Parts: sequence; structure tokens; C-alpha cells
Amino acid sequence: MKYEILPWIILFLPLLATAVITLFTLRCRTKSSLISISAVVTGFVLTIVFIAVNGWHPVASETAVNWLSIGDLHADFGLKLDALSMMMMLIVTGVGGAIHIYSYSYMDEDAGKARFFAFMSLFTFSMLGIVMSNNFLMMFIFWELVGVSSYLLIGFWFEKPSAGDAAKKAFITNRLGDFGFLLGILMVWGILGSLNFSTLQSSIVANPAALGTMATIAGLLVFCGAMGKSAQFPLHVWLPDAMEGPTPVSALIHAATMVAAGVYMLCRTLFLFNADALHVIAYIGGFTALLAALMAVQQNDIKRIIAYSTLSQLGYMVMAVGLNGPTPAMFHLTTHAFFKALLFLSAGSVIIGMHHEQDIWQMGNLRKKMPLTFWTFLIGALALSGIPPFSGFYSKDSILAQCLEEKNYLLFGVAVFVAGLTAFYTFRLFFVVFFGKEKSDYAKHAHESPLVMTLPLVALAVFAAIGGFIGIANNYGSQFVAEHETLSLAQQVLEPLHAPVAMLIGIGVALAGIFLAFSLYKNAGTDPLPAKLGGLATAMKNKFYLDEIYEATVIRLHDLIATICDMIDRWIVEGACIGFVRGGTDLTGRALRLVQTGNLQTYAFLFVLGVALVLYFVLGK
Amino acid sequence: MTTSILTYILGIPLLAAVLLVFVPGNYRVIIRAIALAATLVPMVLAIKMFCQFVTGHVGYQFEQQIPWVESLGMSYHVGVDGLNVGLVLMGAIVAFAAACCSWEIQTREKEFYILLLVMTGGILGAFASLDLFFFYAFHEFALVPTFIMIGVWGRSERKNYATFQITIYLTIGALLALIGLIALYIQSGAHTFDIPKLVEYIAANPLAAKSQNFIFPLLLFGFGILVSLWPFHSWAALGYGAAPAPTAMLHAGVLKKFGLYGLIRVALPLMPQAAQSWMQILAWLCLGNILYVGWVAMKQKNLNLLIGNSSVAHMGFIFLGIASLNLIGVTGAVLVMIAHGFLAALTFALSGYIYQKTGTLQISELGGLCRPLRFIGVTLLMAAMAGCGLPGFANFVGEVTVFFGAWQVPSLRVVTVLAVWGALIIGAVYMTRAVRNVLHGPVPEKWSKLADATDVWRKLPYALLLVSLLVFGFVPSLLTDKIVPDAKKMVQMANPVSDKPGAVAVSEIPNLKSALPN
Repeated sequence: MKYEILPWIILFLPLLATAVITLFTLRCRTKSSLISISAVVTGFVLTIVFIAVNGWHPVASETAVNWLSIGDLHADFGLKLDALSMMMMLIVTGVGGAIHIYSYSYMDEDAGKARFFAFMSLFTFSMLGIVMSNNFLMMFIFWELVGVSSYLLIGFWFEKPSAGDAAKKAFITNRLGDFGFLLGILMVWGILGSLNFSTLQSSIVANPAALGTMATIAGLLVFCGAMGKSAQFPLHVWLPDAMEGPTPVSALIHAATMVAAGVYMLCRTLFLFNADALHVIAYIGGFTALLAALMAVQQNDIKRIIAYSTLSQLGYMVMAVGLNGPTPAMFHLTTHAFFKALLFLSAGSVIIGMHHEQDIWQMGNLRKKMPLTFWTFLIGALALSGIPPFSGFYSKDSILAQCLEEKNYLLFGVAVFVAGLTAFYTFRLFFVVFFGKEKSDYAKHAHESPLVMTLPLVALAVFAAIGGFIGIANNYGSQFVAEHETLSLAQQVLEPLHAPVAMLIGIGVALAGIFLAFSLYKNAGTDPLPAKLGGLATAMKNKFYLDEIYEATVIRLHDLIATICDMIDRWIVEGACIGFVRGGTDLTGRALRLVQTGNLQTYAFLFVLGVALVLYFVLGK
Repeated sequence: MTTSILTYILGIPLLAAVLLVFVPGNYRVIIRAIALAATLVPMVLAIKMFCQFVTGHVGYQFEQQIPWVESLGMSYHVGVDGLNVGLVLMGAIVAFAAACCSWEIQTREKEFYILLLVMTGGILGAFASLDLFFFYAFHEFALVPTFIMIGVWGRSERKNYATFQITIYLTIGALLALIGLIALYIQSGAHTFDIPKLVEYIAANPLAAKSQNFIFPLLLFGFGILVSLWPFHSWAALGYGAAPAPTAMLHAGVLKKFGLYGLIRVALPLMPQAAQSWMQILAWLCLGNILYVGWVAMKQKNLNLLIGNSSVAHMGFIFLGIASLNLIGVTGAVLVMIAHGFLAALTFALSGYIYQKTGTLQISELGGLCRPLRFIGVTLLMAAMAGCGLPGFANFVGEVTVFFGAWQVPSLRVVTVLAVWGALIIGAVYMTRAVRNVLHGPVPEKWSKLADATDVWRKLPYALLLVSLLVFGFVPSLLTDKIVPDAKKMVQMANPVSDKPGAVAVSEIPNLKSALPN
């Protein structure tokens, strides 16, 4: 591996940016943002240089320094550089770079701009750490750091109670997943004696039964971590609330990168999972995809609709991993990073144009006022819906094909249905926002965003459009498939023809979804759906009451236990026990006080009594 | 033998305390300057010692021994090895930070600083001593000022009750430990108070099982009470809640670790058989700290009580590390001791600042403090994150090492699972709750004009403690490389069978299955 120092620089530049901003330039907003932007952009350039020099599969793919070594516990601070991690590095620094640049203008009026960029750089550092780490402990460390950067950024406007609550909820929900993840790591380490991915992989390849009877449990515990970060059911509740953060944060963390970390981790540690564990993973992914798509249909906040769509697409990716398809999963992860970041940033552009109004029923007819945003949003929406030749079509098609290949027709059905729903809710949003009549004064006076914001939109739009056939799937394929043949551009364009059934059904339901949305929402002033669906629409709108159910069960239960402990502490440990000691001492004192009367005659009497007793014992026996 | 650097480290605060007696009470600046200098110099010396410590070397360094009562085998004997070098460093840094934070004391300053310096000298002496008599005597030196400081300079209306409770509990704990130590001296028959000699002697002539079985519980519970082992914990949160910030910093951060250090230094290696039979019980008791006290912390309405309870909860991880009786666990325990020392000092210093400015620590009264108190708010946020085990801070390294160590012991797996729950979930719940209610949210009108710590001197103690947490969090090998050789030696004495190399054999896996909760 040539230029071994480059990955280290790429990793630590953003941390350096955070440190410099926090320590020195917190009062200078422009300087801070430029430091942060240049850190991530330099990282992007250096990643390209590194790949150009070493190719996608460097000979010695790891570089490490010892970090912690105690007896049997060896944890390196190590980087693993292969096609998988380098593609992710490109996404994190590339998409992240576009979002950083966009934020320069988006956050311009905010007094906390410097703090915002410090947090963004901290996040970039942590996320790069996850994708580059070569062992479980290092990954867990960055996993937690990503969690805390997300916490800080969701709570960026911390004076808003809802932002503070959302940050807290995201942190604790993620911690629930991490609980399983850490136990999984402990279990794998306990049995196989190593934390390093390559070592673990070779020992499992050498002896597939190495994990013994614990294989399924260990796999599912590790999967818990992915459930938290990638917001899979039942730990999905934090992601929609996370939209309290600034929109670039939603684009970077809660769409393109952090939430994809779970999927990435599953692909990185795929060797750990046996058939049973993968089965569970596939169904959880499929269920999340369905549930979130249904919820998305009845949301009215522009960011929340896209957030639910993110949940649903993450479900797709997790399902693909569970169906033994890491290549389709990572492929979809990558294209999703493009088009979802694009959709969020376009939504951010709309929100700025609308003076921070986020209700889609206050918008309308924005295509005239914001033409560039309109076109970029359209490209993102087409990609998300899976319309050829946009990137989302190729990756979604590869997942559908994977379902058929594994002969899992139930999940194929779910995936197809979700694809239809996705097209429907995306274009519901699209038509309501960009067509019809202006539904508020803000919509009448909306304006296009400045160039610093629209340029990243255009860049992302290009990749959202062509991402399906520029060799992304090739790279992942070379990582996961032993004898992978590299496809030419033309072959890539025509790749979906290998599974015509999946392709035709996929395109069919997407078009049907768009048509349905068109007929319902073309000129709608209010949502016609609740009248048609009745109770189901209410349930969808209220996220199937899952938040309320959690509140009533899990949170109440923990609170109840805490209250009981507090009572015991207050009344039994402190009250009874200490009260007893205190009271006992007090009582003894009072009893002894009676003896000290201060009366000379009593003393003389007791003295004589004592002497008599002594004499009795000495002489009497 | 030349005078050891340790003698200066522990002697300077004590001498300065004597010196302060002769300074008139109204020379406030001079008193404060002397106190600061008398803690700054030991800190610098301790850092120097830490840097000069030869890594990878088993045994004591910077030793000094002066015979004292030879007929009883007592001598002034100081020295450090991997187990206490970090503790001495941590103690010296916290002591300086505590002296810096003492600007909140406005009444009877002279007396306060004298007690603070005596406490500092006592603490550092207790950790540096290699003679059982001095080990114990220095601890008492530090303990008694604690009670007086809480009683005289304490806050809150429950101050007297808190003083009463902490005095009773800690005196009983210290007394039990004293009985245990005396019994140890007599039963060993070595006629020496010198710890290295005792260890050597007992390695050759092990104590009878019978004497081990009655001495060990005395030490375990005596030391345990000093460390707020569940269910003897209720003094801690209350006492810290009522204590002035510097006292809470020194006690919760440093002095409390004495009991743990005593267990590792004296009880485990000298009484291995008894230790092994008690460790299972200790492991379950530590869950009382981690889970039960964690839940209690969730319910606190006062910031200081919350921090105090969280500090008690953190002790559970150290006990778990000790209970695992293997190299990884014990190393982790020492790491948490050091990390928690910095953290507890930092959180109490910050809550002290907030109390100083607002006059209240009732969580419902506070809110949105990140806005007016930028530096203090951000530091408290980072401390809260360190408290719930965020990587980057030293606490994470310690806690995760303890979990790895405990996981190696198949019979402790259920305890480990529950402890991980306590660390990752319960800790996160009460810490984020505190952050949400104290730092986030709208700022009440009355707090919008609070003065932040702006000049370098005011920021120094917090920055110092935070940087210490970060340095050891980023480069834990600074500590582990020093701890491991001596911890290995200790573990070999305490638990000769534990040190089997390699991971748990596959044959033990069914065992593991039964150990998991369904």
C-alpha cells in the first residue's frame, strides 16, 4: 500500500478542524465554516488520490498502531482499506462535502454557525472512523462518537424543547441498539479471541462452526447495533424526530451516511451471520420498509415524509443483506446517499424559500418560483421511485432481483408493494409542493436559493441521475463475490434485463404509484386520502401509535423501577436502617442520661451498691 | 537513601498547612496563594514522576524507607508501582483543581485551606504509602477534615444530617478496616507493617483459611463502606450534595478510591482463598451500585444528588473489575478509578460553579444554561457524556476493559450483561435527562444574565480535569502499559488459576448459554 499516511490524514483532518474551531475560531463564523469545509473537501481529494495510486484492492489492506493491549485483549487503532471502505469514504467525504458547502449558505443567518461546523466535522471524523476501522472495538468507539455527534446536531437548536427532547430520544434509542452490539462484540471476542475483522473472518472461514451454538445469538446481538443506527423496527422511532436538526444535518446524517452505518456494518461483518440470523435480519428489514412506507403516506411535514422514506429505504437495504445480497444492499446505500441527500437539500432549499415553513399544505406551485430546486427535486423523486434510467432504479431492481434469486416470494411481494408506495408518497409530496395553487402567502413570495446552495444540488442531481451505471455495483461486486466480472458501461445500463420479471414489475408499480399520486394530488387543496381510508389513515398519520405504546410500556416500566428504587433508598435504606441506628443511639443516650441525675445521694447510693456487689463477688464466693 | 519525590509530593501540602496556621486570617490573598502553590508544586512533581516512571518494570519505584517503630516493624515507606502511580497523579491534579475551585469559600478561609491541605497531604500519603500503619493513618488524616468541612462550610438545609450520616458510615467503615488490618498483622506472624514484606512473607507462608475467612470480610466491607458499596451507599450522594465543591471533588474523586486501592493492594493478594469465595457475592453487590443506584439517580430532582448517585453507580464498575479477578478486569478497575477521579472532580466543580451563580441546584429551577454559561455548559455537557461512557474520555476505556475482563469469567456473564445495561442505558438516561433539563431548553429570564467563567484562571481547573480525561481516553496505553505488569503480579497471587491464556474454550460454550437471560 503506497502513501499509507493518506488514510490517516483523511481520517484526522476533520477532527483537527473540530479542535481548531472549538478552541480558536468559535467567534468567527466564516473562518470556522471554511476550515470545516476544506477539511472534508481535502479528504475527498486525498481519497481519490489514494484510490488512483492503490486501486480498489490494495495488497496489504490494513494499517494499524496498537491502542490497547491488556493480556488477551488486543485492540488496534487500525484502518482497513478495501473497495467497501473506500467507496464509503468517497460517499462520506463527497456527499458530505456537497452538504458542507450547501450548509455554508443554509446556516448563514444562524448565530451558532461556527458551532454547527465544529459538530459537522466531528461527525465526519466519526463516520470516517466507522468505515475505516479494522476491528470491532474501534468500530464501536466511532459508532458511539457518531451517536453523540448526531445527538449534538439534532439538539443544535437546543433552546427549542422539541429539539432537546428529540436529541435525547435519539441518543437513548441508539444506546439500546449499542447495548446489544457491545454484548455481541463481547461474545464474539469471548469465543474467537480476536476483535480484528480479518482474523475473525479467517477463523470462521477455517471453521464455520467456530461460533458453535451461539452463532445465531451473537449475530443477532451484533445486528442490534445496526437496528439502532439504521433505525430498524422496533428501534426506528428516533429517526423521524431527528428532523428537529437543521436540514443539512438531516441530509448528511439522517439520510446519506450515519443511518447507513448499520447496513455498512452488516456488510463488513457478513461472515458472522449464519442462515438463521440472516433470515431474521431480512424479515426485520422487510417489515421496516413496509411500516415506514405506510407511515410516510400520511405525513404532512416535508422533512418527515422524506425521513420516513429513508426508514423505508434502509429497510430495503437491511432486507437485501438478510437475503445474502451485500452487493445490492451497498449499491442501494450508495445511490440512496445521492438521491436522498439531494431530496433533503432540495427540501431545505424549499424550506428556506418558504421562510422555515415545513407543512406541505402551506406550499404549492413552487415550480415557477424555484425552478432549479424543482428540477433537482424531480430527479431525486424519480430516482427514489425507481424510474429508469435514474440511479435508484438500478439499485432497487438489483434488490428485487435478489429476492427472486433467493426465492423469497413473500419479501419480493413486500418489496414490490413498498416500491409502489414509495412512488406514491414521493409524488404526493412532489405534486402538492410544486403544482396546484399557492396555499399560503409564503408560497406566493417564495424565492430561489443562492448559488452556493444550488450548486451542490446540481452535483448531487447528476450522480442521482447516472449513479446506476458508473461502476458502483462493480466495485461492491469485486468486494463480495470471489469471481466477479467487471461490466462495461453498456452492460451496466442493460444489467436489469437479466431479471426481466423483477424489472418489469418494479417499473410497473412505480408508474402506477406516480399515476395514482397524480390523479389524487394534481390540484388538491387538502388531502383527499383520510376520507377514503378512514381509520387506517389516522393510524398511519399517528405512526401506528408506536411512540405512545413505547411511552406507555417501556418508558413507564423503567420509570416505575426507578421510582421503586428511589422509595427503597429513601425510606428503607436511609429511613429505616439509619433511623434505627440513630434512634437506637438516641434511646441509649436517653436511658443513660437517667443515671446521671446530678443528685449526690443517688450517686452515693449507686456507689455503695457497687461496692457491695464487688464485695459479694470477691468475698462471697 | 535520597529523599523520594513522593515525600515532596505528600509533604509539601502538609507543611504548607502548618505554615498557614501562622498566617493571619485576614491575609486572604497570601493564604490562597500558599494553598495554590502547595498544590501546584505536588502536581508538577507528580506529572514529572509519572513521566519518569519506568514502564514495563515490575516492582516499586521512587521508594524511600525510614524506620520508625522498629519493635513493631513500622516504618515510613513510600513508593509507587503501576497500581498506584496513576492514582497519585490523579490525586495531585484533582487537589490542585480543588484548590483552584475554593474561591467559592468566603468565610473562615484560613481554616478551610488548612483543612484542604491536610486532606490533600493525607490522600496523597495514603496512596503512596507502602506501610500499613501509614497507609491507614494518612487516610484518617484526610477523612477527618472531610467531616469538618461538610459540617462547617456545607450547604443545603440537610447539611447536619448529611454530616452525621457520612461521619457515622465512614467511621464504621474505617474501623472495620482497621480491625481487619490489625488482625492481618497479628495473624500473619510476619511482625511487619511493611506491605511488600508482608506480601512476600505471606506468599511463602499463606494465611490459614480460617483467619482468611474472618479477616477478608472485615476488609471487604470496611473498605466497601468507604467506597459506598451497595447497600452502604446512602451517605455518599447526600454527603456530596451537602459538601462544598472542593471537598466533594477531593472526596468523591480521590479519597473514595482508597478503599478500592486497599482491596487491590492488600486484601486480594494476601487472602486469595477468601477473596475467591467472596468475589461472586461482590459481583452481585456491584449490580446494586450499577443498576439500583443508577435507577435512584434517574429520580433525583437535585443536580448534586444526581451526580452523587451517578458517582456511586460508577463504583460498581470498579467492583466488577475487581470481582473478575483477572488481569483485564483488574486493569480496567484501576483505569476506572483514575478516570472516575477526574470525572467526579470535574462534575462537582461544575455543579459548584452553577450553585455559586444561581444559589440552587434544583433541576426544575434550572434550564437552558448552555446559553448564558457557554464554557461551563459545554464542559458540563462533555462531563455528562464522559459519565455515560462516551469513547474519547478515559471512563470509556476503563469501563469497556472491565466488561471484557468480566466476560472472561463464565460465572459472571449474567452480571456483565446487566452491568452493560447499566452503563449504556441507565447512565445515558439520567445523564441526557440532566443535560436536557439543566443545559437545554429555554433559558428562564432570571438566568439569562449569569456570568460565565471567562478568564483563564477560572477556566483552568475545569480545563485541566477535562484534558486529563481526554488524554487518557485517547492514549490509554499511557496508563495500561504501567498498570499491566503489576496487575499481573497481583492477579497471579490473588487468583493463580485465572491467568489461563487465550479465550474461553469452546467446551465452555454451553455454560455460556445457561448464563444468558432468556
